[in-house]
Amino acid sequence: MPDLTFVYDFISVILPFDCMQVRFMQKALFGLILLAPMTAAMGVQVINFRMAFFSDAVSHSAFAGAAMALIFSTNPHWTMPVFGLMVGLGIMAMQRGSALSSDTIIGVFFSAVIAFGLAVVSRDRSAARNLQNFLYGDILTITDMDINCLVALFVILILFQTWGYNRMIYIGLNATLAETHQVRVAAYQYAFAGLLSLVVIFAVYAVGVLLVTAMLIVPAAAARNLARSSGGMFWWALLAAVFSAVGGLIVSAQEWARTASGATIILIASLWFVVSAGISHFQNRRTP
Amino acid sequence: MSLSALTKGAIVHLQDVTVNFGGVNILDHVSASVPKGSYTAIVGPNGAGKTTLLLAILQKVPYTGRILVTCEPPGRPARIGYVPQRFQFDRGTPLTVMEFMVMGRQRLPLWFGHQRFYREKARDILRAVKAEALESRRLGALSGGEMQRVLLALALQQEPDLLVLDEPSTGLDLQGEHIYCELLDGLRTQHGFTQLTVSHDLATVTHHATHVICLNRRVAAEGAPRSVLTSEALTAIFGLHMGLVDSRAMPDGKSNCTAPCCARDEHA
Repeated sequence: MPDLTFVYDFISVILPFDCMQVRFMQKALFGLILLAPMTAAMGVQVINFRMAFFSDAVSHSAFAGAAMALIFSTNPHWTMPVFGLMVGLGIMAMQRGSALSSDTIIGVFFSAVIAFGLAVVSRDRSAARNLQNFLYGDILTITDMDINCLVALFVILILFQTWGYNRMIYIGLNATLAETHQVRVAAYQYAFAGLLSLVVIFAVYAVGVLLVTAMLIVPAAAARNLARSSGGMFWWALLAAVFSAVGGLIVSAQEWARTASGATIILIASLWFVVSAGISHFQNRRTP
Repeated sequence: MSLSALTKGAIVHLQDVTVNFGGVNILDHVSASVPKGSYTAIVGPNGAGKTTLLLAILQKVPYTGRILVTCEPPGRPARIGYVPQRFQFDRGTPLTVMEFMVMGRQRLPLWFGHQRFYREKARDILRAVKAEALESRRLGALSGGEMQRVLLALALQQEPDLLVLDEPSTGLDLQGEHIYCELLDGLRTQHGFTQLTVSHDLATVTHHATHVICLNRRVAAEGAPRSVLTSEALTAIFGLHMGLVDSRAMPDGKSNCTAPCCARDEHA
């Protein structure tokens, strides 16, 4: 496992807040700095593909993934991504092969994974106590293994976005047109669904099931208000997501705040959205 | 029959094509061909399966039978440019016309801007469809006519062997339709592609198409417009009023064609 001590030391130097001098906060911040650009980039496409409900279903599968860990007596940090990946790819396969509407298919998966998780957890009272972690997230307990997985996912996602960003925009606009014009729509859709599922599960660690969709949607929505082009939307989303993640973590650790870090991150992102909506409204009024 | 014999002189060959949705045959044993270099129009009443036929050719709906799309030189897949009937997309998407043009060609992500090679190529094609002034505009802010021209530019960027248009004049006013009609004629001559169009505008089809497929779930007639679009055939396919378009009355004049591009010729 690579030694990331130099990264944590660097964080403590560039952010000389008291709260940033402890290792678990440095790890949490590094995890968020890896996660936020991923949610920003995927969020742009989640908005284009109207896949907010998809990410909701995958995030709730984290609960079922944890239940799987109980059944197989293994670490939930392995079963959650695997189960999330299976749910994401399963939804995509059903969407592509069925005449049913997307939201119906996602709704069925959504209900099934929740029911499965509840059924398993209801048999084990000790597991039910950990439910709060899934609901609110807990980035402060991120492990070295989680960080290494995040680094690997970050590299894969950057490669995917660099290779496929333009084609993903094409597919999001009109999949039939893209496919006719020689874009491999199915391959991109499956790759996107798989990667999005993994990003969503890692985001569950950070902000919890209740707020994971917000981490994808809110920075991208703010970016959409501010951007004039697709390239601009990407950069605005990135800025809003990273600023919210870093700002949220630091604010949540202040004595006067003492709030849940996940909720604080989303609140700051929401502030970005409110300001961006105001700017967009003002610009639209000025444009004849 | 061998492939070459089947497709001789044709870029698209349809043999016994049937599309069935929910137990209903939308297309029923359709056999027809699209000659290379032609302007082939598919005409028929609402619900005749015109768009379904295009989608079958584009391999977007499941069908039985055989559809062959060939090209010159053989050995590579035919390039198809497609202009949909209604391009439905989220109009609030921040995407400029130039980004729209290069997104299917350029690999470098749009967040790093456009590469000069693709930008210049896109500009040339936008110029060809008289849309060069639109390159910085947001896609969602385009009018119906502007959108159709940009979609045509996108399709032409494929350097298509076959250009497929699904009712391209839908939503266009007379002037827009006129510009579109002229543009397509000129571009087909210049680029040498085959044009396959679904159209409701029988006057334009009669005057400009070189090959017509009359469709009403089955092929009712196929051939040169003047021999196919007879009053009798049209009345049989469309109903009573189609006798108004009398193609045989205009073998040597444009006066009976109500297509906007022809109407201008008449006034000139």
